[in-house]
Amino acid sequence: MTPRTDRFAVGDRVRTRTVDVDGHTRLPRYARGAVGVVVQPAGVHPLADDRARGVSGPPQTVYHVRFAAADLFGAGDHTVTVELWNDYLTPVEGP
Amino acid sequence: MSRINDVGGMAGFPAIVEEADEPRFHADWEAHVFALNGALIKRGVYNLDEFRDAQERLPVEQYLAASYYERWFAAITTLLAEKGVASADDLAVGDDSAH
Amino acid sequence: MSHDSSLISAQVRHVEALLEQRGLLDAGEIDTRIDEFLAGGTPANGARIVARAWVDPGFASRLLADANGAIREIGLSMAGGLQEQRLKVVANTDGEHNVVVCTLCSCYPIALLGPSPGWYKSEAYRSRVVRDPRGVLREFGVELPAGTQVSVWDASAESRYLVLPRRPEGTEGLAEDELAALVTRKGLIGTAAV
Repeated sequence: MTPRTDRFAVGDRVRTRTVDVDGHTRLPRYARGAVGVVVQPAGVHPLADDRARGVSGPPQTVYHVRFAAADLFGAGDHTVTVELWNDYLTPVEGP
Repeated sequence: MSRINDVGGMAGFPAIVEEADEPRFHADWEAHVFALNGALIKRGVYNLDEFRDAQERLPVEQYLAASYYERWFAAITTLLAEKGVASADDLAVGDDSAH
Repeated sequence: MSHDSSLISAQVRHVEALLEQRGLLDAGEIDTRIDEFLAGGTPANGARIVARAWVDPGFASRLLADANGAIREIGLSMAGGLQEQRLKVVANTDGEHNVVVCTLCSCYPIALLGPSPGWYKSEAYRSRVVRDPRGVLREFGVELPAGTQVSVWDASAESRYLVLPRRPEGTEGLAEDELAALVTRKGLIGTAAV
């Protein structure tokens, strides 16, 4: 197996997927379609959505992604850091 | 589609209640359910995500009415039936002729 | 919450017997697993980790960088469950308070700390703490200054979390085991100061 390269670096801005999947997922609804910042990689694991259907997909990087509460709920001065599989994330260009 | 377990940010649940001197398990059967799940996952009968999925697929009214380990046990029996380990009839109490 | 305890007890016993008949459980296996679990995980393990971090800055640094490696130094491990899980330790500071939740189920470092408290598993806590952590913390008696950053960690994937509380003032003279005795399970989750 070739060594995998993380798709995102610490500090990268990412957007979570918006699709409301029909099945098990580990992207919480409150963090769907939101923009956050990668804090740290958190290991490499097959996608939970696949494993729940008995499918063993290739391992992929999981990231701690930090969101401002105001971006999730429209209010709040705290942050919420969610642990998200690579497949849940797309890059956000620009500052 | 969002499932009943996905409660982050939702309003309307009752107040948070702390139980004084809470035991690690509230009844012997809870410890048995906990251990049974570990044994079945270790044997590869199902995996942890299938176990979570089976809880999330419980009928909403059953999910909300059940205690924590009642949900676990319902998920275990659901998976045992779906995986063909035992029929629903075999799993039901009262059938001592199970073979 | 508990419905008919005798009925579900009978149901669980029945399923165990059925699985033994079909060769999917060994006799005595469940009792052994329960005994091992109860002997392994306890909040005292978390308290030992915290106390060591308070007295040993080098250990604290290693704990924040690689918690699994650091806790092995004091004879602890995240391997007591189904498989070794990654432990992520988050440190409270003068300016930041951390609090942990699993909004999707009830993920918690049980192999290290034992079962989580009922309130941690409740919809009430899981729904509210991501949205209004200051309000939830106030109900737990933790009043944070307005300038303190609150960081909520949702255990939504494979890591398990432990909060490293701030060492209380006036504890300079205490020995490591005396410090450990100050640490509560709620402090390890972030719903108490220590």
